[in-house]
Amino acid sequence: MNKLISLTVLALSSQFVTAANLDSNYRTSGKQVHQAFRELQPFLQSGSAVFNRGRKEIIFGTVVSAEGHILTKASELGEVGDLVVTIDQTRYESPVLVATDPAWDVALVKVDAEGLKPVDLAERPALERGEWLVANGAVTRRERRVQVGVVAASAREVKAAGGAVLGVELDGEAEGLVVGDVSEGGGASKAGLKKGDVIRSLNGEETKDRESMLKSLEDLRVGQKVTLGITRDGEEMEVEVELAGRTDLYGEEKTRNDGMSGEYSARRTGFPAVFQHDIMANRHFMGGPVFDLEGRCVGMNIARFSRCESYAIPAAELREIIGRLVPAGEGS
Amino acid sequence: MGLLLAVLPCAGQRAAINDKRAPESLEDLREIQRLVQAAMPAARAATVCIKLEDGFGSGVIVSKDGLIMTAAHVTGGTDTEFTVVFEDGREVKAKSLGLNSDTDAALARIVEEGEYPFVEVDREDSVQLGDWVFALGHSGGFDKDRGVVARVGRIVRTASRTMQSDCNLIGGDSGGPLFDLNGKLVGIHSRVGDKLPENLHVPSAEFLKNWEKMMSGEFMGEGPFAQKPELGKGYLGILVEGREGGGVVVKRVGSEGPAKEAGLKVGDVILKADDKALSSREDLQGILAEKAPGNRIALEIEREGETEILTIKLAHRDE
Repeated sequence: MNKLISLTVLALSSQFVTAANLDSNYRTSGKQVHQAFRELQPFLQSGSAVFNRGRKEIIFGTVVSAEGHILTKASELGEVGDLVVTIDQTRYESPVLVATDPAWDVALVKVDAEGLKPVDLAERPALERGEWLVANGAVTRRERRVQVGVVAASAREVKAAGGAVLGVELDGEAEGLVVGDVSEGGGASKAGLKKGDVIRSLNGEETKDRESMLKSLEDLRVGQKVTLGITRDGEEMEVEVELAGRTDLYGEEKTRNDGMSGEYSARRTGFPAVFQHDIMANRHFMGGPVFDLEGRCVGMNIARFSRCESYAIPAAELREIIGRLVPAGEGS
Repeated sequence: MGLLLAVLPCAGQRAAINDKRAPESLEDLREIQRLVQAAMPAARAATVCIKLEDGFGSGVIVSKDGLIMTAAHVTGGTDTEFTVVFEDGREVKAKSLGLNSDTDAALARIVEEGEYPFVEVDREDSVQLGDWVFALGHSGGFDKDRGVVARVGRIVRTASRTMQSDCNLIGGDSGGPLFDLNGKLVGIHSRVGDKLPENLHVPSAEFLKNWEKMMSGEFMGEGPFAQKPELGKGYLGILVEGREGGGVVVKRVGSEGPAKEAGLKVGDVILKADDKALSSREDLQGILAEKAPGNRIALEIEREGETEILTIKLAHRDE
C-alpha cells in the first residue's frame, strides 16, 4: 500500500525536437534570477560558516555568537580537530567541539574569533508555503553564493524512521530479555551493555517481555536517555542508554525515490520540529542558516531528505538550543 | 471615504512579472511570492492524493461535482476504482474515466455526490516559456502533518505536447497540478529526467484537446504511459462444470491463482458471476472474455447451503 507511483524516467532529447528552451541563466537556480537576491548575499557571507577538511567542504554552519560559536549538523561533522572554518573571508583553524544535542543532530563548535556578526533569529509565526528563502549554494574561499527556494510544507515533527532503538539485539533463544549482540556505535554499546546482560526494567518500569519493552520505546525520541535496570552475573545495576534512530544505526533500503535524490543526508529523520523547503542542496549543504527576504534567519538547514525536500530547524527552536548549548556567560 | 479595491489580474491575463526576463529586485520577488501565496489556499484545497491498491499518486479537482485531472500512469486504465484523500485526511471514492496513454493525460470522477473545492483550468493555452509557476503534490505519499508539498519555479522548456519546469518532482507527485501565478491549472506532473531540473508536465491544452473522448471513458493512444486492457487475458484459476439445476461446480482450483487466494474450493457452486446466472462452463468463459487482467469479477458462491459473494481480482493469463 505504500508503494509510490513512480515518475517515469525518460530520455528527453527525442521529446524536444522542436522545443523552446529557457537559457540556464534565467532558470530559478540561474545567475540572472539569483541576481535579484543579491542584497541577501551579505547575510550569508557573515552569518554562515564553511567547514573544510583539506579541500573538501564537509558541512556549513550558522554563526550564533560574536565570539565564534557556530551551530552545525553533528552527524556530518566528524572529528573537528583538523577542520578549517571559513567565515566571510577569514579562516579559523583548530575549532573546538563545545556540545552536541543528538535529539536535533546539532553540534556547537567554537572558533577563536571576536566581532563576528551572529544571525538575526526571527521567531516568526508559521512560515507559509510559497515564501522565498535563501541559503548557501556553491561557495568559494572568498564568497558564499545564494541558492534559492520556497517554504514547501507545514512545520512539524519528523519522527525517526523505524523508531528509536537501544542498539542491542535480544537473544531469541534465551528466556527473558537477554542481550545478544550489542550494535557498534549504538547507545547500548556506549553505555557498556554486554552480551548476556538481562534487561529488567526501562525507566523504572518492569520489562516483562520484548513487546512491553518495544511499547515503552514507542513514544521516545532519538537522543533521549533511558535508564535500564539490568542483571549482570547475578548483580543488579543501572545503565543510562541514549536512543538512536533505527535507520541511522542499521541503515535502510534505498527506495526508488532515494535513487533519484542524489546525495541526501545520512541522518534525515528524527527531528522534534522542522519546516520544509525546496532549495536545491545535497548533504554537505546542511548546517547553514536559512534567510527570508528581509535577511532574518528563519532557520538552520538540518537534513536533505530527497530530491525536492529539505528540512530546517525553525528559529524559535534554534534559540532554545543555542541558549542551552552555549556555556553560561558566553555568547551574545 | 474611497473604496479600497484589490487589484486582481483579469481572467486569462498573464501576471505582469512574467514579462520580465528575470526578476530584478526583492520587490519583484515579493510580487511572485504575493501571487503564489494568494493562489495557494484554493490550489491546496483542490489538490488530492490518489490512493490505489498498489500505490500513491496525486490529482487535482477541476469541477464542483468532483471531476479530477491526473496522469494516465497513475490511474493505469479506465474504470479503475480508487480513493481520493484531501489534505485534511478526508477520503472519498473515485473512478477513472478515459486517458491518453501517449501524453499521460487522464480524467477521473469522485463517485460520492457532493460539492468539492476545485480550480480553474487554463483554457487559453496562455503559459509561455519563462513563466513563473508553482507545483503541488503529495510527494512520497500522503502525510497529514506535512500536507501538500509546494515548489516554485519557471517553465524552462516547451514542446508541442509536453512542457518542463524547474519545480522538482518526485514519486507520489505524479498526476499533481502545476499552476500559473493566477492560480490557473496549466499542467499535470508526469515524469522526470535523470538529472535534477528535468521535470515534465502534461500541458492542460492536451487535456482540453481530447476532453470529450476522455470524458466518455475512452482509452486513447498506444503510448508508454498505460497499457491497453487485454480482454480475455484475465486469469481466475478454476475449472468448472455445469450443474443440473443451474450454477457451475468448481472441479479444480489452480495451485497459484486468484481463485485459490480468495479461498475458492473444489465442490463450491458458483451461481452467478457479475450478477449473471451461470449454467455452463461457456457462460463463465463468456464473462471472462470481456475482462482484462486487473479487472474484478464478483462470484456468488453456494457452499454448505450458505451463499456468499467473493470479489476476485483477475491475474494475467501468461504470468
